[in-house]
Amino acid sequence: MEGSKTSKSKIYTVSEINLKIRKNLETNYSDIWLEGEVSNFYFHNRKNMYFDLKDENSKIRVVMFHSNNKNLIFEIKEGLHILINGYVSVYEKRGEYQMIALDVRPIGKGSLILAFEQLKEKLEKKGYFDRVYKKNIPILPNKIGIATSVGGAVIRDIISVLERRFKNFHLIIRDVNVQGITSSDEICNAIDDLRQYGVDVIILARGGGSLEDLWAFNTEKLAEKIFDCPVPLISAVGHETDYTISDFVADKRAATPSVAGELVVLDKTEALENLKETNKKIKNLVKSKIVILKKEFNFLASRRIFIRPETILNKFNQFAGELRIKLIENMKKLIRTRGEILSEYNSLIDEKNILKRIYIYKMAVKNMDIRMVSGIKNYLTLKKSRLKFILENLQEKNPVVILQRGFAIIYKEKEDKNIKSIDNVKINQKVRIMLTDGILNARIFKKIYKKLEIGFKNEN
Amino acid sequence: MKIEKMSFEESVTKLEEIVKKLEDENISLEESMEKFEMGIKLSSNCLKRLNEAEGKIEELTRSEDGKLVTRELDLEKENK
Repeated sequence: MEGSKTSKSKIYTVSEINLKIRKNLETNYSDIWLEGEVSNFYFHNRKNMYFDLKDENSKIRVVMFHSNNKNLIFEIKEGLHILINGYVSVYEKRGEYQMIALDVRPIGKGSLILAFEQLKEKLEKKGYFDRVYKKNIPILPNKIGIATSVGGAVIRDIISVLERRFKNFHLIIRDVNVQGITSSDEICNAIDDLRQYGVDVIILARGGGSLEDLWAFNTEKLAEKIFDCPVPLISAVGHETDYTISDFVADKRAATPSVAGELVVLDKTEALENLKETNKKIKNLVKSKIVILKKEFNFLASRRIFIRPETILNKFNQFAGELRIKLIENMKKLIRTRGEILSEYNSLIDEKNILKRIYIYKMAVKNMDIRMVSGIKNYLTLKKSRLKFILENLQEKNPVVILQRGFAIIYKEKEDKNIKSIDNVKINQKVRIMLTDGILNARIFKKIYKKLEIGFKNEN
Repeated sequence: MKIEKMSFEESVTKLEEIVKKLEDENISLEESMEKFEMGIKLSSNCLKRLNEAEGKIEELTRSEDGKLVTRELDLEKENK
């Protein structure tokens, strides 16, 4: 309604009304318990926690400041069903109301159990319990380190077990509180000290107790210390039914501290007994080996070869003889085969045949010889008769013979050329007339041309 | 590794190996004698190790200047 405000009504500023509401809420809801499920959880810089708490139909904003959440042993997570103790307030800057949580408890199970379960799950995921990281516990440690309370019964139990099993053990005890706020840190330091001093194995020991009593062995810090420890470590905390985080991370869990005493040293009497047994065993093994070898030797020595070696030799001799015969036979066979091949070649060569052919060739040669000789003879006869004819003919035509028959040869005075025609000479030219018994020098007086009749002339 | 320098555990492990070897029928006489000799040495080393530790119980503490110190601890006395 417009202008309905009366003069009596107070006008607030935004800040005033938010402050008034905050005070009102903080007075009326100063110490309440609120149950619900966690959602939209936000851990700002691991200091203040912001989340919604909801049921099926509704939700409320919750803040848990660092001063209040730093001692929480379990983790607040998405979906966790919790009970919150605190008060309702207003964040004036934004005019939003919210629950301020002072304490948080899980619903359904105790905080310690939840914390234990959460840490166990976390470390398991990180691989802290993996078998591959477990170191072997030495069976005869020179120095045994133990972190426990010197005042407790546990250390006495352990010592009595050790004494029973192994008289001359060397134990280094590091006294720690095994309960209380400082306990976990003390145990962590004890591990460091024992490591530094130099022991072969470390035992963390404590008697039985409630989950709260054993809490020192369930911290993340101790779990990390154990995981990083290079010396083999045995966790011997509580009774057989008690499990702690240290049990899971340690290289070995001893169900009770007494069991740790058994794990950490061998039973000397037993060890000595075993050693004796082993000695006996190797002696017997060697002995039986010798017996077996002796038997083998005797068996071999009784064999014929050693008693009558000549029988074996004879056998070999016989064998060698057989071989020899076989060898010779084989050689013969071989030669025979080769011989056959040779004779085949031989037949190709055939001596008689060759001689025959040589004879034929010889005859041919001889024939040729005869023919040649007769040929030459004929030829010579022919040539001889021809020569005779030529000589006779030559005799007939000999100019001397012709001159003897009254003919003369006329030469020019100074030339050896005979004159065959009157044309060859001139009147008054000197000529030589050759006769059989000398030469006449003459001069031509006169030329009379008169052709002489050539009569019959016998050529032969 | 020299047998005299072996730990108890190393000696025991080696000794077990030797027993296994000796149990093998195919081992030669020479080798078995050799193993036997070694086995005897190992077992006497084991014995030595078993007896060499001195039996004592000590408490480890930090002195005022932060150094690690040990002192003999008599638990019977402490209890009184």
